[in-house]
Amino acid sequence: MGDSQYSFSLTTFSPSGKLVQIEHALTAVGSGQTSLGIKASNGVVIATEKKLPSILVDEASVQKIQTLTPNIGVVYSGMGPDSRVLVRKSRKQAEQYYRLYKEPIPVTQLVRETATVMQEFTQSGGVRPFGVSLLVAGYDDKGPQLYQVDPSGSYFSWKASAMGKNVSNAKTFLEKRYTEEMELDDAVHTAILTLKEGFEGQISGKNIEIGMIGNDRIFKVLSPSEVEDYLQEAE
Amino acid sequence: MSRFEESAPARGGFSYDLCKRNEMLMQKGLKPSSYLKTGTTIVGLVFQDGVILGADTRATEGPIVADKNCEKIHYMAPNIYCCGAGTAADTEAVTDMVSSQLKLHRFHTGRESRVVTALTLLKSHLFSYQGHVSAALVLGGVDVTGPHLHTIYPHGSTDTLPFATMGSGSLAAMAIFESKYREGLTRDEGVKLVAEAICSGIFNDLGSGSNVDVCVITKGKREYLRNYMLPNPRTYVSEKGYSFSKKTEVLLTKITPLRELVEVIEGGDAMEE
Repeated sequence: MGDSQYSFSLTTFSPSGKLVQIEHALTAVGSGQTSLGIKASNGVVIATEKKLPSILVDEASVQKIQTLTPNIGVVYSGMGPDSRVLVRKSRKQAEQYYRLYKEPIPVTQLVRETATVMQEFTQSGGVRPFGVSLLVAGYDDKGPQLYQVDPSGSYFSWKASAMGKNVSNAKTFLEKRYTEEMELDDAVHTAILTLKEGFEGQISGKNIEIGMIGNDRIFKVLSPSEVEDYLQEAE
Repeated sequence: MSRFEESAPARGGFSYDLCKRNEMLMQKGLKPSSYLKTGTTIVGLVFQDGVILGADTRATEGPIVADKNCEKIHYMAPNIYCCGAGTAADTEAVTDMVSSQLKLHRFHTGRESRVVTALTLLKSHLFSYQGHVSAALVLGGVDVTGPHLHTIYPHGSTDTLPFATMGSGSLAAMAIFESKYREGLTRDEGVKLVAEAICSGIFNDLGSGSNVDVCVITKGKREYLRNYMLPNPRTYVSEKGYSFSKKTEVLLTKITPLRELVEVIEGGDAMEE
């Protein structure tokens, strides 16, 4: 295809008007492990599969869902090391915002700044785009919010979204199940059922991760035993 | 935001670029701007369950009291507090900056901050400015390794002590500590001793005054007792009150709004692909 001549250089448009490297980055995200997020009326929940390459890996040392500020958390689909860099940058930006304005950073601002970083890597020389899409969950004065940020740097606010391997099935499932009046606990159950849809093998507290934030505005990642409790309720 | 990042020196050490210009200006008769010196009494001591920090609340600008009730005990981390003496802006900025760095560090490590971490961040910063950042600090906190109390001098040297005082009232406060301190004090004895030491600074040093602030830090808990003691209340209040004499005629009462209320339109910045 004519695009292939333009696929090596990040900063060159192809004749069809696309930046092929970003398309490839999205493909990398699409082959990553499934993650999803649901915005409830009184909070937000994000969840992801935690499939480890071998049973010998110590799963307690792996944490995919990270806290950016006490009231904002993030999960990714795609390349783990790329997400670590973004998490580090976002945390620093949130802290700098606080030092300058003495106000906790609003969710939209943090998402915008993270998206700006990701966009910079699509327009600079000698770098490649990030191979991750992020789902940012936060609760601030505007209420609960869920944003997805793509490798191109574009971001969207979602009521419910999924990314990674099983995205089309997961999104169809969410479209059917989502209601605006859903509460946080219902949202967690829905998230678990959605993950179960495309899950290979036995789902348990050790191979999925769930993070949630409620009216208390404190983002927390559930421990494996807490996840097990929710799993049993969802049965 | 990027200008904020650029303001920190890229390679360590103070940038002396403007010193020649300042010298030239001073020769031409320009007086350097005066800064707010706190002229303080700050103290700290270790008791059986943790540390207690104390400070007075007077901020001086030469012979004038600039702030009668300022806060000299600064937050560094949930388990670490720092008292500051010297130039108020310097102590505020340096403790704020290190508090921010400690917060980021907590996110990255997932652990409670240690007092030695705060100590090393502060002393490296002060040393790289060769004493020009005029901040003398008493740092205290409780972490996994136990209770710690340190003093940090403006040039970047530190001491680790069971009891410490800094500031212009430090000798007055130290006199109290040297005679009454012993190991294994209880919380109430410790707070009483700290308040006594600060009062000694307040009454015997001109640079210190007004009220006593105390902060008690123990494992898992901290109590910030702002204005723990108010030994200098304003006692004279005129009985007659402040009102116009009967001969005054009110000619006109008019209310002028200073500022129009601005309506904020919800719209935001929708991201388009």
